[in-house]
Amino acid sequence: MSRLFRSVAFQVAIALLIGLGLGLLYSWRISPVTYVDANPAILRADFKDQYRIAIAASYASTQDLARAQSRLGLLGDPDPIAELSAQAQRMLAQGESFEAVQPLAQLATDLTQGFTSNPIAPTPFPTFSTPVAQFTPTLTDSTQDVAEATETTAPQPTLSFEQTALAPVNLETITPRPTSTPTAGPGAPFALVSQETICDPGQIRGLMQFMLQDSRRKEVPGVEIIVTWNAGEDRFFTGFKPELGDGYADFVMQENVVYNIRIVTGGSFVSNISAPACTDPNGAGYPGGLLLTFQQ
Amino acid sequence: MSSSNIIKILVALVIGAALGLAYGWVLAPVEYTDVPPNILREDYRVDYVLMVAEAYQGNFDNAAAARRLAILGSESPAAITASALEYANRNNFTEAEVQALKNLLTAMQTFQPQENPAP
Repeated sequence: MSRLFRSVAFQVAIALLIGLGLGLLYSWRISPVTYVDANPAILRADFKDQYRIAIAASYASTQDLARAQSRLGLLGDPDPIAELSAQAQRMLAQGESFEAVQPLAQLATDLTQGFTSNPIAPTPFPTFSTPVAQFTPTLTDSTQDVAEATETTAPQPTLSFEQTALAPVNLETITPRPTSTPTAGPGAPFALVSQETICDPGQIRGLMQFMLQDSRRKEVPGVEIIVTWNAGEDRFFTGFKPELGDGYADFVMQENVVYNIRIVTGGSFVSNISAPACTDPNGAGYPGGLLLTFQQ
Repeated sequence: MSSSNIIKILVALVIGAALGLAYGWVLAPVEYTDVPPNILREDYRVDYVLMVAEAYQGNFDNAAAARRLAILGSESPAAITASALEYANRNNFTEAEVQALKNLLTAMQTFQPQENPAP
């Protein structure tokens, strides 16, 4: 044994291992590879959320669905649409406003549908600290040009600036959006196609379930629903419970309260909805549930 | 121990260290998974700034734009936008994209963040 320890080959092998260990210690701990050209896929989760918000906000402005899709691809999410919906849900749970969440939900909806739901809205008036914007009641020549060029925006009162005004959004660069779904037009209204009463004592009492489908009966996530009643209002989106369906949403009704429902996309309105009266096996009454199916 | 043996051991030590460094730096470098945006590659950074500029075109919310740009580092939003605009000019971005960045730059140069009111 002692002969083995004294052998040169053994000592060389030990030296090799020690050198290897020192090399790894230095390269992994003391001076590891530093990243200077990272890609968005390895961003921390909260920064990925910020990135998605920027993508959705950009999309809300440009309506360039293909570009938004390719940008989402940079994040390396296995299911970008599900990630958008999940993030929207997280933001709502954290108390973010619907206005902040809406672009994410809209992008998720449009990616699912494969086309842009909303046309580009007229650009709102900018607000600057300087220069001061002043409203004028008549159109200026430059605005006339824009209106003629785009033929999509209604004439609006324009702004005059003390210095060069911002140029309007240039619509020429918008890439042609996919038009693979010719049956349902973008933003086509949803219509109530069925209303089923559900008397199931095992179910949450007064549960109003929504199922929103496009014209092909494919469930549509990210559609905003507003439920109003005499004492309040609630807003929510479809697709926040993906285990129950991308087009699913629900709301718990109170007994003897009348609700009005508005599907924001397309502007559908259903009034006088209330929890149906059901009777359990013991003969006791309880508020039943409803399944409302809307279709484009 | 003879000097030739010592040399052999030292050579083995150096070879081992070299192998360790090659493995740790090249073959299996430390993998980063939770990096901040300030080390994004320049084209990704510029694309992010462009997204902020495009969003700004739609809502003219300069506070939101400044907030979004702030995650890219400690530079001022105007400096970040100026850098992106320079990159865009160098790399033949479309006219609309350059214009969007210019508009954002103008907004960031004139943007004054609101200070918190004193309690």
